[in-house]
Amino acid sequence: MSFALSKPGRFIGALTADLKTIAYRLAAAMVICVILTFASDAFLTTNNLLNVLRQASLLFLLASGLTLVILTAGLDLSVGANIGLSACIAASVMKLSGSALLGAASGVGVGMCIGVANGLLVALMRMPPFIATYGMLWVVHGITFWYMAGTTIYGFPSAFRALGSGYFLGVPIPVYLMFVFLTLGAFFAQRTTYGQEIYAIGANRESARLSGVPIARRLILVYTVSGAMAGLASLVFLARMNSAEGDIGEAFTLPAIAAVLIGGTSLFGGVGTVSGTLVGALILTLVLNGMNLLTLDASWQPLVTGVIVILAVFLDTLTRKRAEARK
Amino acid sequence: MNEIAMDEPSRSFSLARVPGVAWILGVLLIGFTAFSRDFLTGPNLHNIGLQSVILLILALPQTMIIMTEGVDIAMGAVLTLASVMLAWVLVHNGSLPLALAAALATGLMFGLANGMLVALLKMPPFVVTLGTMGVAQGLALIVTDGQSIVVNSDALQAVYGGSLAGMPLPLLIAVAVYAFSHVLLYHTRFGTYVFALGGNAEALKLAGIRANAYLIGVYVLGGLMAGLAALILTARMSSGHPTSAIGMEFDAIAAVVVGGTSFEHGKGWLFGTLLGVVAVGVLRNGLNLLAIPSSAQVACIGLLVIVALFIDGLKGKQ
Amino acid sequence: MNQDTVPLLELRGISKTFPGVKALDDVSFSVYPGEVHMLIGENGAGKSSLMKVLCGAYTADAGQFYSKGEPVDIRSPADARKFGIAVIFQEFSLVPYLDIAQNIFLGREFRGSIPGIIDHARMHSEARKILDLLGLELSTRTLVHELGVAQQQMVEIAKALSQHARILVMDEPTAALSDRETERLFAMIRQLQAEGVAIIYISHRMAEVFAMGDRITVLRDGKKVGSKLPGEATPDELVRMMVGRNVDMTYARSFGTSEGEMILEVKNLHAVNGIKGISLNVRRGEIVGLSGLVGAGRTEVARAIFGADKVTAGEIRLFGKLHQGAPDKAVRAGIALIPESRKAEGLALIRTVCDNLMLPGLGKAFPNRLYKASKARKIARELIDRLRISTPSSFRAVQVLSGGNQQKVVIGKWLSSDSKFFIVDEPTRGIDVGAKAEIFALIDELVRQGVGVLMISSELSEIVHVCDRAYVMRDGRIAGHLAREELSEENILRMGMHHE
Repeated sequence: MSFALSKPGRFIGALTADLKTIAYRLAAAMVICVILTFASDAFLTTNNLLNVLRQASLLFLLASGLTLVILTAGLDLSVGANIGLSACIAASVMKLSGSALLGAASGVGVGMCIGVANGLLVALMRMPPFIATYGMLWVVHGITFWYMAGTTIYGFPSAFRALGSGYFLGVPIPVYLMFVFLTLGAFFAQRTTYGQEIYAIGANRESARLSGVPIARRLILVYTVSGAMAGLASLVFLARMNSAEGDIGEAFTLPAIAAVLIGGTSLFGGVGTVSGTLVGALILTLVLNGMNLLTLDASWQPLVTGVIVILAVFLDTLTRKRAEARK
Repeated sequence: MNEIAMDEPSRSFSLARVPGVAWILGVLLIGFTAFSRDFLTGPNLHNIGLQSVILLILALPQTMIIMTEGVDIAMGAVLTLASVMLAWVLVHNGSLPLALAAALATGLMFGLANGMLVALLKMPPFVVTLGTMGVAQGLALIVTDGQSIVVNSDALQAVYGGSLAGMPLPLLIAVAVYAFSHVLLYHTRFGTYVFALGGNAEALKLAGIRANAYLIGVYVLGGLMAGLAALILTARMSSGHPTSAIGMEFDAIAAVVVGGTSFEHGKGWLFGTLLGVVAVGVLRNGLNLLAIPSSAQVACIGLLVIVALFIDGLKGKQ
Repeated sequence: MNQDTVPLLELRGISKTFPGVKALDDVSFSVYPGEVHMLIGENGAGKSSLMKVLCGAYTADAGQFYSKGEPVDIRSPADARKFGIAVIFQEFSLVPYLDIAQNIFLGREFRGSIPGIIDHARMHSEARKILDLLGLELSTRTLVHELGVAQQQMVEIAKALSQHARILVMDEPTAALSDRETERLFAMIRQLQAEGVAIIYISHRMAEVFAMGDRITVLRDGKKVGSKLPGEATPDELVRMMVGRNVDMTYARSFGTSEGEMILEVKNLHAVNGIKGISLNVRRGEIVGLSGLVGAGRTEVARAIFGADKVTAGEIRLFGKLHQGAPDKAVRAGIALIPESRKAEGLALIRTVCDNLMLPGLGKAFPNRLYKASKARKIARELIDRLRISTPSSFRAVQVLSGGNQQKVVIGKWLSSDSKFFIVDEPTRGIDVGAKAEIFALIDELVRQGVGVLMISSELSEIVHVCDRAYVMRDGRIAGHLAREELSEENILRMGMHHE
């Protein structure tokens, strides 16, 4: 990045807004890395860095689908609960049928169904997204607990477990998945007309509608994708943990939203990128990892994540206000 | 031309005017009476009442918050934190009034934070309170180190087990809170402006009223009530537990929505919320008697909310 | 009657300038106790600016107010209230789930003997007195959302009176009322008049101008043209005073004579947005005007044809084929809508020029759904050149462009999708003279290439100069049709206002 340092103003000025956003965030991630390197000897080790990447990849898988939803000025609060149910169903199908593939398919399928239900509530019933998906959160959560009834399903085929804990060429498999879905997600958002229409809906829903964008179908699509990605993330998580319990998804909702917001996607819609979300997931994971290394209790995680969410929304609101003042 | 009659709106009684929550409640009562012999008994009804007290204390301010087109989903977490603080102070100091003050102060701080972020910085209430929910939850975990703080205090015991003139103390507190909320919403400027905040905030500004102060006030009230609810919760469990009330805001929001308060136009109804609280309480109790696990009850309540919102949307379209 | 010789309120030489527009130019105006002073003028003549100055929302650049002969300043809504001025806008300032009494006294609740508690009994009895004064039999405990539009308007008036308003400004108060309700309102106005309240009444309806007015003032181009007593003027005379605005420029257009192929045919269209029995047609190579006063239902016709508002009866034929459905179907069928509000409906302001230009044409440019930024930018650049859109680059956010260039983007959007029929709603609103000419040149070019255009405009001169023929609307219906030779501002106004 030496050329960036020599003439930062001109270089940054030539970039599009999206690239600028990502560049700033990557720089922030670097700064955190530097600080952590000095603060803890354990940080700059291959093991720890791979660990960070693995955790970030799981978070990214979940947050990438959510990014699309937030791009339409929507919200999906059911992603955490979705992980719980998808993982439990996948685990149970895998146990009953003995087929890892069937289990995986059912996990993604369940996630997708939840997404479709969200999409229908938001697009056809015209419910505010946060209410619809908040209600869905508890419905899904309840079904999971009722289905599991306090039991634990554990011990899966090693082929399946590789999805979460395996390595290929010394790099954890989830990291490959992360890059595959980064490519897919970025391709969908930037290189298809669907992606263009999704941005348009978020930027101004009425103008998109009056330009002939089929709003309801696109909204159902993004909530379905978000649900399916939660289903996929649940598989990775399941494979890593090698056991499924009713409460496994609970802790994911807030970090997923945080990753999307840190990544520069605006809650007000129309602005943001999937690759930004990847950087967001990385930053959040680095912060949490750093806290861990500095022997700060895991109980600090929700607190820190909560503060990060509030700060991110604050910045987002501020940017929005400034943009409106310019009009 | 709109054919608007100049006559006064009809006040005559018709079945269509019976609010949805009354139907829901009626169906639940008849259903559970039919399916469980234990349902319609004195001790069980007493039980429902006691269990609904905390829900009511949360649902009443939540009604006002939702009327302003906002929401507070941090309430459960703030209640948890307040309960933990109360237990902590009680264990270390022994003074119940001081402990209660700590709980109320906790609620006040979070209410103030939520209100200021929403009113002054114009941040979306849902995500703001999602963030503060994380903060409160985290603090509760940090203060307790993930463990319960067990309290052995006779004074605290008396709050939950005691009675006055034959009425259990928690029920008396609930009645007092309801009366207070009623007076506040229907007989003070504060309440009048709560209706206006959601209905037509512009009208408030035209009338020269500082709308933001009242908007912050609504969230502060929510925080304080969560602090008060912490007293009863801690007394009931004789401990402060870091996850004791997580998700309880959902039951409260469910009760409010089922009770007919809407997220739009400043439409709200305190008595509807009371009925909603009873409906949620009856549903949980009845499902308990039918040996349906608490988790499935949550799913039922979630469905109840979606159905209620759906009906709300249908009515809105007409 | 000595006090009647001093106006309750007088304005002398009021001017108000906005960048590029002189909204009010040396307007002098007075109103006496017990007088109904009618204010008329075509769209954009300066009536609403005058209202905003009166209620303190705008501060005048020059001129002086006199209250009962004393010079005063009106710089804020509080000032206006102090001098007894109350404005009743078409958008009410009522709270739907509060009752009538609470709405009347919003912000001025009576304190009771118990601290903090509102004295409801007194509030209701005071409200009752005001409602009785107005002859309203409604219970003061009725919630406002249960009331009809007319009743809500009465509550607004009651609210104004409770603040001791002596000067009521009403903006087209009968626009949403039925005949019966209008009668009630007029009876109330007469009663207020008898009590010495002065009323400034903005109207589009000739009949009520003569029925209710004690004096009539005509505005045009922000200037006062003159004041008349109802007895000394005829409707035709007033119409003549209203028209003849300074036309910014002449639009050179050669009007076609040949009858082109029928593009759009609408028969007896009714829609939920309030339009009734609309029948009209547009041929290839024509610009057909849809005129009428603000609120007559012109935009609603556009939205119904485009499928943005639900059609309840009637049929739309496009090239002879029956068409119905949501906007996405309309776009695929080749209909383009250039909406009234550029910022709210026409553009995604935070997105780039290229993104906005491409949106309706995505399916056309990328039939396999794979979006290529380079191709999009190429198409966008061609459009930018063709429309002479002045922008630093195709990937600049639309919000930094000037109004005229933004409007070109809104039109350009539809060139990327090969639309055959254009509905343009107020295409020149808020853009400067030079840009207006360019917009019309653009529309003219489209027409010569064989599209059909339905043009809505509040600027009568635009309709007269640009359109081949025009329909005039009134109260959600087509009031008449004007062929090229009949097209004049006077004829449009005559049809658009209530007088035959």
